[in-house]
Amino acid sequence: MNQDPTALSQRLMWIVWPAFLMAGVLEILVFALVDPVDLHWQGAPLEASRQAVYTVAFFVFWVITMVSGALTTLLAMSPFEVNRCPVPRDSRPEACAEDCPRQGTP
Amino acid sequence: MNTESAPLRKVIPIAESPDKGPIEPPPGADAEMVSLYEAHKKIYPRSVTGFFSNWRWATVFLTQIVFYGLPWLEWGQRQAVLFDLGARRFYIFGLVLYPQDFIYLTGILVISAFSLFLFTAVAGRLWCGYACPQTVYTEIFLWLEKKTEGDRSARMRRDAGPWTLDKLWRKTSKHFLWLAVALWTGFTFVGYFTPIHELGREFIQLDMGSWEIFWTFFYGFATYGNAGFMREQVCKHMCPYARFQSAMFDKDTLIVTYDAARGEPRGGRSKKADLSTLNLGACIDCSLCVQVCPTGIDIRKGLQYECIGCGACADVCDTVMDKVGYARGLVKYSTENAISQNWTRAQTLRHVLRPRVLIYIAILGTVVTAMAISLAMRIPFKVDVVRDRGALARIAEGGRIENVFRLQIMNATEATQRFHISVEGLPGLSVVSENDIAIASTQARWVAVRVQGPAEGLAPGSHTIHFEIAAEGSIGKVSEKAVFIVPR
Repeated sequence: MNQDPTALSQRLMWIVWPAFLMAGVLEILVFALVDPVDLHWQGAPLEASRQAVYTVAFFVFWVITMVSGALTTLLAMSPFEVNRCPVPRDSRPEACAEDCPRQGTP
Repeated sequence: MNTESAPLRKVIPIAESPDKGPIEPPPGADAEMVSLYEAHKKIYPRSVTGFFSNWRWATVFLTQIVFYGLPWLEWGQRQAVLFDLGARRFYIFGLVLYPQDFIYLTGILVISAFSLFLFTAVAGRLWCGYACPQTVYTEIFLWLEKKTEGDRSARMRRDAGPWTLDKLWRKTSKHFLWLAVALWTGFTFVGYFTPIHELGREFIQLDMGSWEIFWTFFYGFATYGNAGFMREQVCKHMCPYARFQSAMFDKDTLIVTYDAARGEPRGGRSKKADLSTLNLGACIDCSLCVQVCPTGIDIRKGLQYECIGCGACADVCDTVMDKVGYARGLVKYSTENAISQNWTRAQTLRHVLRPRVLIYIAILGTVVTAMAISLAMRIPFKVDVVRDRGALARIAEGGRIENVFRLQIMNATEATQRFHISVEGLPGLSVVSENDIAIASTQARWVAVRVQGPAEGLAPGSHTIHFEIAAEGSIGKVSEKAVFIVPR
């Protein structure tokens, strides 16, 4: 991926955007049922405004769904992509070329 | 991997072990690596005028007047449309909704989805070309870009050239205008969730709440990034609809199409040349259809998932056809069947009503009707019943058995409502606590309700009872189940 910035940016888009949509869905679902005022943290009522809980929860949902998307993207890589040498051919160290079994990869 | 024992199984060589030498990439992998991820080239869409462009501007104005204007609209003493997240009340003109009215949101989503399916089946990506915020804000941002940096060729020349004072000035003013529109959009967005008049006052006095500031900037920068920089990338790499829209397409769906039979073979020619002697089609290969395309595709290659159905290519091709004196419509809004079978406009339109479309209409109609009926028959209050946790059951004065319940009554109107609670399910059961409960507009209140029943004739154990709650002057009644306990 290092050698191809377009691939990285497209993968980021695949991970970030669907996660954003699903975080929005989760936010609506969860807070339709839960009033932030009723939440407790370690036995004591949560001392945060509803706006604060909505905002923080949205980003927590987003990050977690992003992790899920990132794992899917990782597992969707083909064996060839996983096996190949990630360093572009022209920036590989000299010694690497001799004994690395991946030297032949692009 | 014994191929001899299983001669029919196809063996896929994954990777050879290191001792057999270096791992060789599959043949052509070098090329494949590049083609897997199409390299991103910046697209400079050329501005265009014409029939579809006019329609797009009309929908840009319409949608944005609604979006920017709606929060400022007053209804009685309050904002007409306000999703008050802080108070967990949702106001839509005369309606006051609680989070418990979630079903209506589901209804709206189902209606939106089926409307999208219906429009897509009939006329392709109408949503994408005319109403999607991504298209609408990109259109606005492109207009600002054209005003500050000029049209396609001027922008390309300036971007390729060195930094001059003029370039700096033009770029700065473009980003300033973009940011102004974006932040105004963010502010409006927040105004749907926080009363916008107050928000405006706080904004002028530089006294906005931290969460409001955060979301204004978050939404503002999302607009700035998506409409200013990401643009067609959003449609190509981020939009799920772009990937599944073809599932709703068939050969009678109206799409932007190139009439290849008429256009090919394409080629340049002198303006005076007689078409009949040239052995050329109507396409003069001016490439303007590619230059105006916001997603940078060539419509002459046929239907592609990147095509957002904006019709810019059809508009520009019509102006070219006018100029060279050919008939319009080399690139036009038509169906696959109509093009291949040379249908007239009327014949094409006759194919709009087909089973797929009728099914979408039927489902949509059912959901809309159900939702309208449900809204019309909605009882303007809600009740939750909870047993009082403190007292299970006790013997009251006169030997009667008493249970205490807690009822949450939610007033979903903007006037004070008076409620009367009755109870049934066991003989001789009655409410003995205060029974004329006034609840102020849009408020919810927990009310302790004491229910007594006669001691004799009731078996020990749990009995199902029903609370009936009626509002003064309202026809609707709410019935809620509860359990009455008789001690041993």
